[in-house]
Amino acid sequence: MNEEQMIRRDRMRFKNNKLSANLTLLAILLDVLYFVNIYQNDADHYYHTWMIGVSIVYNLIFMLAAFLAEEGVKSYHKAYTYPLILLGAIQIARIFILPMDAHSTTLDSGALAMGDGQFTYLVVLLIASAVCLVAAAVVNFIKCTALQAHMKMLEERSAAGALSQKSA
Amino acid sequence: MAELSLQHIDKIYDNNVQAVFDFNLDVKDGELIVLVGPSGCGKSTTLRMVAGLEDISKGHLFLDGKDITQTPAKDRDMAMVFQNYALYGHMTIYENMAFSLTLRKENPNVIHKKVLAAAEILGLTSQLNKKPNQLSGGQRQRVAMGRSIVRSPKVFLFDEPLSNLDAKLRGATRREILLLHKRLKATMLYVTHDQTEALTLADRIVCMSMGYVQQVGTPLELYDAPANIFVASFIGLPPMNLFDAKVAGDELILEDAQSVHVALTPEEKQTLAAYQGKTIVLGIRPENIEEGPGIPMTVSNNENLGMNTLVYGNIGGPGGPKVCAKLKGWVGHTFGDQVQLTIKRKHLFDKETTNAIR
Repeated sequence: MNEEQMIRRDRMRFKNNKLSANLTLLAILLDVLYFVNIYQNDADHYYHTWMIGVSIVYNLIFMLAAFLAEEGVKSYHKAYTYPLILLGAIQIARIFILPMDAHSTTLDSGALAMGDGQFTYLVVLLIASAVCLVAAAVVNFIKCTALQAHMKMLEERSAAGALSQKSA
Repeated sequence: MAELSLQHIDKIYDNNVQAVFDFNLDVKDGELIVLVGPSGCGKSTTLRMVAGLEDISKGHLFLDGKDITQTPAKDRDMAMVFQNYALYGHMTIYENMAFSLTLRKENPNVIHKKVLAAAEILGLTSQLNKKPNQLSGGQRQRVAMGRSIVRSPKVFLFDEPLSNLDAKLRGATRREILLLHKRLKATMLYVTHDQTEALTLADRIVCMSMGYVQQVGTPLELYDAPANIFVASFIGLPPMNLFDAKVAGDELILEDAQSVHVALTPEEKQTLAAYQGKTIVLGIRPENIEEGPGIPMTVSNNENLGMNTLVYGNIGGPGGPKVCAKLKGWVGHTFGDQVQLTIKRKHLFDKETTNAIR
């Protein structure tokens, strides 16, 4: 490892993991866009089932969990990598629940519950949100691993220094 | 290399109030100059003019021979440390110290190196991840200094940086500033109203009053040979005792205590040859007074400081001029005691011009 890389690693001791944190916040923002868009075209009260309640509650839980994870990854907590990946996977899975079902349901009026345009838009939002979450997780994992190794090296170095001082 | 030269500088505000009159000073490279004086004497205004935070009404300011009178503050390559620290509360110490370099879009790795080096100098390495409100006043002031150090400016400007600290911390931080100066060998301009700071820190002191420079010299020069009554009374703690005295042959007769006669040495008599029969001002530092046969004093108050005792009283009997004597050791005088004082050293001033008679 050259000096530049060493310094870059050392900087992590004093700087937040902004990349992972910002990616997570972006994922939350994309989810909000999904959330405010999905019920726009409520023809024939298609969404007025128990699903809407579950959807709303899940969105709240998602935002809370993602925000907590964002705070965790900001300060290089490796453990938050896994919830982020899980949240990303759920975002992908959500495509196959409400949007897909609405897109394949024909209403009494003969129209689709969700048109092609809205479906594409929502799928893109969920995929983008998932990509952001997984990317945040991967970046966090890589940075945490590097920081741990760096901290270990510093500890060893200071221990060696103390030992040589003692022997001198 | 940073030599600063202030030439004939005036500061006149829009309402025609003049705060600084004909300020002249040449600061050598690596010198620590302390501007000292009472509140409102123009010392902070002068510093702010040097920093570029105030316009210079008249005169010229040179940095390394280059006229920077009209140069904006951001281009002057000077760093200022304020009394109230001016730290960003939402940023960590690391971010606070790195902030100015980040604004300049310097390489993050270079910033990192500079911040760590400054933190090492100031003993802040273990505090870098904390926020300012988690630090003590002294540590916050060190962060403010660190923020200046990382910029590697040509001149450091300090505007009463220790005023917010308690007495103990002030002493410790003062020593740190002195060490910092020795380590960085930087040109520094330091403003304070505290004469102890001025005497302990300065290579040279600029003593100011009412916008005028009263004296420029080393701390010893200002203490030992004050140029006028203002400097004599401002420098030294407790302040110098001053008495109106008439020159009569080879002695001085105090105007407010005619019975008190102070003998002159042959040298002093020669110096005062032109003042025979005239009234001058006699200055005696409290530490230049000892117990011994000489002038009678009626004690009014006694302050034991451990190593010394400050004895206050009236000379020439009750109702006579007040005097303060700094006697060695623990002296147990009480109210009304009669003691005899000997003067070890005198300072003589012209009553009209207030200048020292030499």
